[in-house]
Amino acid sequence: MKLWLVAGCLLFCTLRFSAQDVEADSTHAGYIPTLSGGLGYIYNVNGGTPTLSPAINPVLLLPIGSHVLVESRAGFVGVFQRRNGTGDYTGQVFSGIDYVQWDWLANTHAMVVAGKYLLPFGLYSERLEPIWIATFQDLPIDFPIGTRTTGAGVGGELRGVVKQTDSYSVQYAVYYSVHSNVYLLSAARTTGVDTSVYFPNQRVEVGISYQRYLDKPQVNSEAAYVSWQPSQVPLDLKAEYDRTLYGQGYWIQASYMLSQVPVANSFVKSVEVVGRMQQYFPRHGGGNGFSTVNQQRPEVGLNYYLHDNWRIISSYERRYTPTKDVNVWYVGFTYRFLWPLWLGRK
Amino acid sequence: MQKTKSLGTAVLIAVIVVGASPGPGQVVAGAKTAKQVTAAGSASQKAARKSGEQVFTDNCSRCHKPPMSISPRVTGTVIMHMRVRAKLSRQDEQALLHYLAP
Repeated sequence: MKLWLVAGCLLFCTLRFSAQDVEADSTHAGYIPTLSGGLGYIYNVNGGTPTLSPAINPVLLLPIGSHVLVESRAGFVGVFQRRNGTGDYTGQVFSGIDYVQWDWLANTHAMVVAGKYLLPFGLYSERLEPIWIATFQDLPIDFPIGTRTTGAGVGGELRGVVKQTDSYSVQYAVYYSVHSNVYLLSAARTTGVDTSVYFPNQRVEVGISYQRYLDKPQVNSEAAYVSWQPSQVPLDLKAEYDRTLYGQGYWIQASYMLSQVPVANSFVKSVEVVGRMQQYFPRHGGGNGFSTVNQQRPEVGLNYYLHDNWRIISSYERRYTPTKDVNVWYVGFTYRFLWPLWLGRK
Repeated sequence: MQKTKSLGTAVLIAVIVVGASPGPGQVVAGAKTAKQVTAAGSASQKAARKSGEQVFTDNCSRCHKPPMSISPRVTGTVIMHMRVRAKLSRQDEQALLHYLAP
């Protein structure tokens, strides 16, 4: 009952404030409730074991004027495997709230975030993880570094631009998360900072992340990352190094759109060739949610971008570990959706 | 209990109906915007649009491919979301709005 009233009041505020702020902005941009997100259907074979993974990640955006936004992302992922290896597919669907946060876009230098938010650590957690963005469907081996235990914090965050000129832009995010065992809002007590410098002329971004895990055992995690999209070729290069008390690792990823290939260009221009190399090394024996053995994973893949935000994905990787080496295949499709939830000006 | 539920539902419907009605300045805002757009042939707006394209190329494509299309109805909302996610400046946000929903 109370929930419905809160939802109704939120919708009310959204509509009233949007009417006023549109006047301030001399554009035709609308500020209405929106449902965005991605979905996918991935068939994966890991060491001979096939798995079907349908997934959907809806993102609900509720603007209150043009300076306050309430947003939330949920995740529903199915994991289905053959019963006894040869029977029907059976499994279960996992669901959760990735984040639910209140954003106040105060000014260029400060945006205030409160609630459950994604931990800003490295490149993947906030930016590359969504199913419709991810070049490869499996997360890097070192992803748990800096994102333990749920990948989200519950508390407050301050982010924005420190300084912006024509030749560079410095961005930052600082946060503090409390320990929470609340259902769907669980998080560890952490604090940290992420900062990066972007050079628009060179199209290079360099950044570092630091996190102090305040729940016991207290440990530090660090990351350094670089991203480069040269303007002359449709190439995207990204790399990251992560380290914590229990392990360290890196990944290097490249994706190249074949839009400059002169042969059958109308078809080939939508093909993306991707590759990634990653290595992970445990420290102090590993454990605590981190791998305890050395791992190497070279991966290659082909993605095809269809019209209307559909994408076909495929990749192959070889996983090397001291005990067993396995082949892992992925094939499937992803879709990015963006739907208005309210009638607004066309 | 039943009364409370009915009352709550009535309040919720009232809130939504009042919210959906044109707010103060909503119609006026539309008219003003139209006028401004009529006079939008100015060099400054063209420059802003060009700048918006540059902002789009520099920031959005760092993480993902551009969407095939985006309705102006949701542009403001989406740009707010991306401003938070990508830590964009207010200036970049305005440039993007002029580029995507002039």
